[in-house]
Amino acid sequence: MSSTASHLREPLVTGNPTLAQISDEVCAPMERKPSWMWWTAFLLALSALIAGFSAIGYQLYNGVGTWGLNKTVGWGFDITNFVFWIGIGHAGTLISAILFLFRQKWRTSINRSAEAMTLFAVLCAAIFPFIHMGRPWFGAYWIMPYPNMRGPLWTNFRSPLVWDVFAISTYFTISAVFWFVGLIPDLATVRDRAKTALRKKIYGVLSLGWSGSNRHWVHYETVYMLLAGLSTPLVLSVHTIVSMDFATSVEPGWHTTIFPPYFVAGAIFSGFAMVLTLLIITRKVLSIEHLITLNHLENMAKIITATGMMVGLAYGTEFLIAWYSGSNYEGFVFFSNRATGPYAWAYWTMISCNVIAPQVFWFKKARRNIYVLFFFSLVVNVGMWFERFVIIVTSLHRDYLPSSWAMYNPTWVEYTTLLGTFGLFFTLFLLFTRVLPVVAIGEVKAVLGFARRHPETTSQPHAVTAQPSPAAARVEVAHG
Amino acid sequence: MAKKAPKIQEPKEIKQYLVGVYGTEEQILAVTAAVVQAGLPVHDTFTPYAVHGLDTAQGLPRSKLTYVTGIGGLLGLLTALTLQIYTQSIETPFWSGWPLNVGGKPFMPLTAFVPVSFELTVLFGGLITVGGLLSFCGLLPGRKPRLHIEGVTNDRFAIALDPTGLHFDEAQAKTLLSEHGALEIAYVEENA
Repeated sequence: MSSTASHLREPLVTGNPTLAQISDEVCAPMERKPSWMWWTAFLLALSALIAGFSAIGYQLYNGVGTWGLNKTVGWGFDITNFVFWIGIGHAGTLISAILFLFRQKWRTSINRSAEAMTLFAVLCAAIFPFIHMGRPWFGAYWIMPYPNMRGPLWTNFRSPLVWDVFAISTYFTISAVFWFVGLIPDLATVRDRAKTALRKKIYGVLSLGWSGSNRHWVHYETVYMLLAGLSTPLVLSVHTIVSMDFATSVEPGWHTTIFPPYFVAGAIFSGFAMVLTLLIITRKVLSIEHLITLNHLENMAKIITATGMMVGLAYGTEFLIAWYSGSNYEGFVFFSNRATGPYAWAYWTMISCNVIAPQVFWFKKARRNIYVLFFFSLVVNVGMWFERFVIIVTSLHRDYLPSSWAMYNPTWVEYTTLLGTFGLFFTLFLLFTRVLPVVAIGEVKAVLGFARRHPETTSQPHAVTAQPSPAAARVEVAHG
Repeated sequence: MAKKAPKIQEPKEIKQYLVGVYGTEEQILAVTAAVVQAGLPVHDTFTPYAVHGLDTAQGLPRSKLTYVTGIGGLLGLLTALTLQIYTQSIETPFWSGWPLNVGGKPFMPLTAFVPVSFELTVLFGGLITVGGLLSFCGLLPGRKPRLHIEGVTNDRFAIALDPTGLHFDEAQAKTLLSEHGALEIAYVEENA
């Protein structure tokens, strides 16, 4: 068969692999023994996880007093980390749902690992609201509405914190389900190539009896589209509601109507930075550089620059409104405290990492250099952590009443807990690379035809190739 | 008294299908269209990924799962509104939540109920859709594929014809399948 490559676009997957090669290459890391690099990373992550959970145990036993919070600064590392991790999670759903609806086919190589990252990040995030209650065993009736023996006394649905409970739990559930639905055909691929009986059994159970039947594919594709349609507003709603935790208060610096779009842009920004960090390592360690190509990384760098500038615009808008509104309190928070007060170092770290640093990706050379990409993805991660720290702490520590002004000094328990969530995140991600296909095999196979003759998709722009009409192509195939 | 006849287990009818296996997407599209045009009974086609255009070639209708999602979403919306209005707003001697005065806020602020209503709409819609997918396709943990054809989850494309179907003509079917470049033509048994 002659292949008529598109002259307009580079192929999504390089090296022109066959279908069987894709299966082999993606499944290989699951079928061989882990390398020493994997073990080193895993043990490091596991140690961090154990340290972090010990710190959480210590805090639960002794109380929230082990943290550096005080009467003025009631939210510190806990909520900073919560918002940070939730934000990280957003890139996965953006890639799997929004880019799917926009027919961005390059998403197919990276959606699986980005979705996994989403789930693990949301798990990390969920830890913080629980432990910051101090006595999380009471959490059930503080946050979940269920009939109880206290009246029943219900949760207050007028509170954004209760909205958050629904938003986060829905987000986690739907992301998990979306991820699993995407995995079903790939699990069947793993089942059918399994060498040992145990492996066959486990993946047989997980793949639910998938046979590749086209009658199933028709339903499957519909469900995939429906879930993408449901997840798209969902992902926007989650960080919107998180931002309402702040925006519905009367705290200067929080009481801002631009918070929802500003938080969503920031979430996508930080999420893509984390996907970039993870994938640069993963593609190298698993040698799948031709599946997750420089083009993928470059596209993500472009999104980082775009969302970084949206975030920068939001920072600027906050200042403009603080000045233009004439509100003394707003003016104080932004001009006298955030930018020049005792936490100015955190503020300027945030500005340098989030607004200035991503400008480097205007240059194609920078976007296609692995080291530059990796370094700046870390910089953005740091910057976005500081953004949440700045929003939370600098608004709280100098409130309306100067006599109650205070500083916030986090303790070792808080630092160790933060470290522990990174441990949890990387432990889960490393386990994921061992037991599940890190690239969506079925979806990548479907886009291999992207640069080849593809008679069924001539209506789409990518199929603008030097080829005969679709009918002629079909006849040619029929006779070939 | 007539002696009761010993119960004889009828051998289970195992269905067989005539399967043609192909190596490319173009071939399966062409052969499916040709088989349907010849009026032969297509049981199903099997592919490693969703091949676009194959559903129309095979004459499959659109999935009805969209309606399931719609109903699921509505159910979630109703659940959320009932839950919130009942617990926050309703106080009658017979059927009562526990409306609390929180800072003088209204007892039934519908705008404040929007976020939770939206989330539960999505949650119910999504979960019920996936439940629908599993039940429409008969997928369950521990199930075996009904018709297991070697390689279709890897790099093979297969079409299965039903020999018990109307207008099945083995000779014609085999000729058609091999004309389109079948790598293999064989009868495959269904898993009981």
